Amino acid sequence: MRSNDGFAKYHPIVLFLYFAILLGFSMFCMHPAVLLFSMGGSICYYGQLKGRKNLSKLLKRVLPLLLITIVINPSFNHAGATILCYLPSGNPLTLESIAYGIAAGLMLMDILIWFACLHEVITSDKIMYLFGRVIPSLSLLLSMTLRFVPEFRKRFEQVKEAQEMMGRDVANGPLFQRIRNAIGCFSIVVTWSLENAIDTADSMKARGYGSGKRTAYTLYRLEERDKDMILLLCCILLLLGSGGTNGKLFWRYFPDIRGKITDPFTLFFLLTFLLLVFLPAIIHEKEERIWRSFK
Amino acid sequence: MESRPVTLGQELEIAEDGIISAEIFRQIKEENKVFIFQGESNGTRYEWTVFGSDIDTPEEMNLKIEFGKRAEGEPVVFRLMTDTSFSFAPVLSIYVDGEWSENDRTVYRRENEKVEKYCEAKIVSDRKQSIINLSLKDAGNYFLPVSVREETTESSSEDLDSEQDQVEHAQDAYVTVPSQSDGRILSDGKQTEKDKYETDPVPAGKPMPVEPENQTVNNQKVYTCTFSIECSSILNHINDLNPDKLGVLPSNGVILPTGEVQFYEGESVFDVLQRICKENNIQMEASWTPLYNSAYIEGIHNLYEFDCGSGSGWMYRVNGWYPNYGCSRYSLRQSDVVEWRYTCELGDDIGGGYAIGE
Repeated sequence: MRSNDGFAKYHPIVLFLYFAILLGFSMFCMHPAVLLFSMGGSICYYGQLKGRKNLSKLLKRVLPLLLITIVINPSFNHAGATILCYLPSGNPLTLESIAYGIAAGLMLMDILIWFACLHEVITSDKIMYLFGRVIPSLSLLLSMTLRFVPEFRKRFEQVKEAQEMMGRDVANGPLFQRIRNAIGCFSIVVTWSLENAIDTADSMKARGYGSGKRTAYTLYRLEERDKDMILLLCCILLLLGSGGTNGKLFWRYFPDIRGKITDPFTLFFLLTFLLLVFLPAIIHEKEERIWRSFK
Repeated sequence: MESRPVTLGQELEIAEDGIISAEIFRQIKEENKVFIFQGESNGTRYEWTVFGSDIDTPEEMNLKIEFGKRAEGEPVVFRLMTDTSFSFAPVLSIYVDGEWSENDRTVYRRENEKVEKYCEAKIVSDRKQSIINLSLKDAGNYFLPVSVREETTESSSEDLDSEQDQVEHAQDAYVTVPSQSDGRILSDGKQTEKDKYETDPVPAGKPMPVEPENQTVNNQKVYTCTFSIECSSILNHINDLNPDKLGVLPSNGVILPTGEVQFYEGESVFDVLQRICKENNIQMEASWTPLYNSAYIEGIHNLYEFDCGSGSGWMYRVNGWYPNYGCSRYSLRQSDVVEWRYTCELGDDIGGGYAIGE
């Protein structure tokens, strides 16, 4: 286990269910309160998981995306009833398109931060455990591809260092030369990775992969608290699902901005969503307190 | 402020006596609905579209209409049975058989042997039936004559030929009455191939497209044309409309009422549309399409293409003809009549299906 997080210690099924519900809602609901709550919850949890330093590093990477969406949307989307001014193209700049740009940017940010959390919490062994039996080839593929990107990066770094020692510098020198060297590095890494894949395949074959049913050692047990958590998540899913289908979480940006916010049902569903997004952070904090009190 | 968004309400049959209770209008107003009231008389079907936003004080209304017997080609005659005038003018849609070639007609009202022009009706027509849309509020007898177009063009040309105009523009090729060449190159109808911007041959006698890059706008020479923007066809396809867009749909289907506007020498229909929309604070989105060398109008007043079914969008008509090329390639002349109309059926409903091509 990478981090000492209380929520990550729940059964993989619980974690999977949690992220499925959360990402589903964050992806499809454009209600500004939902987006802001989701943002708050994800930042809070990522901070607990990886610390302040890593959080600010992630935010620095993600924030430009928000800014880009805020600029791009109004320059290509001119719908909306409130005209602020006219762009050089002759099309209007509208308040609604700016608002939609902000909402879309927030949603993108939310999803990215939640996926960063998911990557920390649902590790590849948990993915293998969850899907190994249902869809064996897909889960193998998933865990291999997820592993591939960081590994590729590491190998590229190694190759680059070796090449630099030989005088084939990627960072200095004439531009054309640098590009040539970089392409050379890339080619070496690709060859290495492909060769490695053949090795892996041979090794798997030698160990009898595919000759029978595979077993895997896991130490996950569905405990009482996992069952409670599944029950809670199902309740939240039902509540939010009914709220969404009854239009209680309705929000639209075009042609004019309209939505529900002061309706008592809407407030209730928003509070339910607030509970959902801060659930991991609350559990983390609770476990921390218990740990500290034992010290 | 959380005001109620406009939503589609019920479709109700008009009873024998035609009375709709004040209670129903109160509901329409309070819930901000769009209600449709349907009736039939002497084989003619009619429909009222009532918007909650139009109702000031809900009161009982008699929406009954009696139509006179009518054979094809005869004027439409009907009587609004109410005793008192309405406090607002809802849109009445009359369904008649056959295709009507014209898309606008003047409605006349007859009272005590006195006949007066009442309003303009917009006609939405496909091959089998036509729908006449007009806004009514006064009791009385109405009729739509069979053909009024010749009459109106004559009168407008008379206005134009007033002495002053003649002296001022005697040498000006722009000012000769529509249907003449007025400095335009008209199609001889001999073309058989598409031009380099995918335009099918222009019918004989119609202006050839003018490439916008070859036009220079001369701000010194000011002319006037008649300009209007309307979307009454949506009122007849209101069930197909994206529900979010009900709030921006004008209850009488008129976005910009017919009026005289000024333009400069060398301007295209698109240039004028863009300026008029800016001046009147009407939202309009256009995108430049290099393939057709013209701007494409995606939406006006937040009513976009595909908002009312897969065949919906904006089309333009000048002097009664829907050009088969883009609005940036239509150069305007004095007294041109430009209409922007929303179609829900690829132009067939507004009499412009031919402009789409095969």
